[in-house]
Amino acid sequence: MRAVLCRRYGPPDSLVLEDMPSPKPGRGEVVISMRAVGVSQANVLIVADNHPNKRALPFIPGGEAAGLIKEIGEGVTAFKPGDAVIGAGKDGGCAEEVLASVDRLYLLPEGMDFTQIVGAGSYATSLHALRDVARVKPGETVLILGAAGGVGLAAVDLAKQMGARVIACASSPEKLDLCRQYGADELINYDGEDLRGAIKKAGGDKGLDVVIDPVGGKYADPAVRGMGWGGRYVIIGFAGGFVPDLPLNLPLLKGCAVMGMSLHRLAQHDPQAAKALRADVIRLLAEGKIRPHICATYPLEHTADAMNDLRLRKVLGKVVVVAGGA
Amino acid sequence: MRAVLCKEFGPPTSADRVTIEDIPAPVPKPDEVVVSVKAAGISFPDVLLLQNKYQYTPALPFTPGSELSGIVKSVGMEVKGYKPGDAVIGKNKGCCAEEVAVPASKLWHLPAGVDFNAAAGFSGNYATSYYALRQRANLQPGETLLVLGASGGVGLAAVDLGRMMGARVIACASTAAKLAACKQAGADELINYEIEDIHVRAMELTGGKGVDVIYDPVGDRFAEPAARSMGWNGRYLIVGFAAGAIPKISFMLPFEKRCALMGVWSGGYTQRFPRESYDNITELVAMLAVGKIRPHISGIYPLENISEAFRALANREVIGKVVITTGK
Ligand SMILES: NC(=O)c1ccc[n+]([C@@H]2O[C@H](COP(=O)([O-])OP(=O)(O)OC[C@H]3O[C@@H](n4cnc5c(N)ncnc54)[C@H](OP(=O)(O)O)[C@@H]3O)[C@@H](O)[C@H]2O)c1
Ligand SMILES: NC(=O)c1ccc[n+]([C@@H]2O[C@H](COP(=O)([O-])OP(=O)(O)OC[C@H]3O[C@@H](n4cnc5c(N)ncnc54)[C@H](OP(=O)(O)O)[C@@H]3O)[C@@H](O)[C@H]2O)c1
Repeated sequence: MRAVLCRRYGPPDSLVLEDMPSPKPGRGEVVISMRAVGVSQANVLIVADNHPNKRALPFIPGGEAAGLIKEIGEGVTAFKPGDAVIGAGKDGGCAEEVLASVDRLYLLPEGMDFTQIVGAGSYATSLHALRDVARVKPGETVLILGAAGGVGLAAVDLAKQMGARVIACASSPEKLDLCRQYGADELINYDGEDLRGAIKKAGGDKGLDVVIDPVGGKYADPAVRGMGWGGRYVIIGFAGGFVPDLPLNLPLLKGCAVMGMSLHRLAQHDPQAAKALRADVIRLLAEGKIRPHICATYPLEHTADAMNDLRLRKVLGKVVVVAGGA
Repeated sequence: MRAVLCKEFGPPTSADRVTIEDIPAPVPKPDEVVVSVKAAGISFPDVLLLQNKYQYTPALPFTPGSELSGIVKSVGMEVKGYKPGDAVIGKNKGCCAEEVAVPASKLWHLPAGVDFNAAAGFSGNYATSYYALRQRANLQPGETLLVLGASGGVGLAAVDLGRMMGARVIACASTAAKLAACKQAGADELINYEIEDIHVRAMELTGGKGVDVIYDPVGDRFAEPAARSMGWNGRYLIVGFAAGAIPKISFMLPFEKRCALMGVWSGGYTQRFPRESYDNITELVAMLAVGKIRPHISGIYPLENISEAFRALANREVIGKVVITTGK
């Protein structure tokens, strides 16, 4: 079987496609014949060795894989060959065959599109951020940075459904237009001048109740300054290239909280909560309540192209890597 | 009546920074109550006010002191619920005087038998720490609470309240004497942060788990090692920067620990939620009356010796709280 390998850290072009022996499922494991796999900014950053979650070389990049179970290991009773599933591999998902533990494997409802469920991956992050960390209430103002990205657009979609007023920030008119289609109430091109003033204006007298920040970098400071009393700022990632510092006088005077989250850590500390979250997203997609936006699909051999699109900020919503005629 | 007056900004330690003068007694406005003061509380912000280093510039001359206890002398026309002779505590500007007019909305009845000195000096600090631990952090029994500057005004209140709320309290301060006061207030563990590493000790004391809630009124170089000692779902309460510099904390920290850096500004809370904020103090007065909380008053100075009290505050010698008594 073929797999994408990271043998040295660097830009996506340093990835290689190799033939490898098919994985064999051990106790409590299955092998998924991959049809679709999510690639995201986190994968780009991990391949560049610029992410808090470090991976030892060599490794297979990629996120959760969806497909059909090819083979099950000893002691596996809840799944059988031929089942449609999604799960996190022991290694990354950019391979034709993905070895996964049943602990983090989910059955997909009849007929669910593999590309769609993979494209919905960021909804788990944004649902957790908005519902469990920030606890958004109807009528609150939610500002979203990187709002046309994977996490960002899912946050726009979910925050609107929670009854929030959504301010979407992104870097181009095309990206902002997509946010508008997902229901954003106000749009800010954050590479325009005076971001601080634009955020203050959009936040109104009360200021922002919630900020969803998967970008960090230079956008964080103006967003923190736009917070209102009792606000919650949720740190999700650092796609913007550097990790900002918070001067502690800002939250003091605003009576606000700067919080953070990582699904990776959630899975370690509270596996039950992580599982429930995953199941929630499958259900939301099955019910047609969420609409992942997939701007492009790439075959496995073009995984680097998908990652380059992410790195060059060309992606609207999600890119998905596919195999085996998904 | 006599009142303390600051007529010129300058060093808080100089003996002539404030004078005691006879000025006309206040007359209550319709919504005010004039209190014959037994004791008044002063705190670090007063020291900053004397130097014109506080958040606002007071018009000169001004009277320091932000809280009081005493007996109602007279009431304004519209005031309900208070009558001459009632024992009360109150919060207002200018409390270091024999008589002070206080809006009725900033008064609380004082149950019989409560010590006027303890009552005068506790409401400000305890209101801040109670709001922080209860409304902001939602501190739970069995959780670990680490307090920086734990022998200071708000710090010692946090130790006492943490104990009362059933938390395991780790107190951090700079001297053995200050730590002894923390122990007396109910701290379970002590860290002398002048000589011990806050992070190393906090991780030891929590078996590597990290602490649940941190209460930080000092900031500066103490903040970062404390913040690194937070556990999963931790809440870091940002209360003040008594040690000087405003610290910066990396966004990576809340991201990794799923913790919250929470601003605490009790004045802002009172402006926005006057009712809840008033009720907090009502609850605290009730706890004081039955001995559930035990404010520590380290210095009681007669009005004419107020300069000594300011010197002790400015020189970082105060443990808990100092109050000024009128002798009335
Ligand atoms: N905490 C968690 O559990 C969790 C879960 C998933 C993802 N994450 C993290 O969240 C971040 C975003 O992930 P994502 O999947 O949403 O990524 P994405 O789809 O690539 O979106 C990131 C957005 O960031 C903006 N951006 C700003 N500067 C950028 C730069 N220099 N390079 C690339 N993008 C830049 C881009 O929008 P503009 O062009 O409009 O600026 C882009 O749309 C990543 O850091 C990821 O690791 C965290
Ligand atoms: N956010 C709010 O709502 C609110 C409300 C009230 C007060 N505050 C703030 O909280 C802080 C503490 O107030 P407080 O009334 O408790 O003051 P305090 O009684 O003077 O206590 C401050 C403590 O800070 C420690 N400290 C460390 N470095 C210091 C330095 N360089 N100078 C002075 N003290 C130093 C001292 O203990 P060690 O010697 O043991 O270090 C002292 O016990 C102030 O910044 C105040 O403005 C905030």
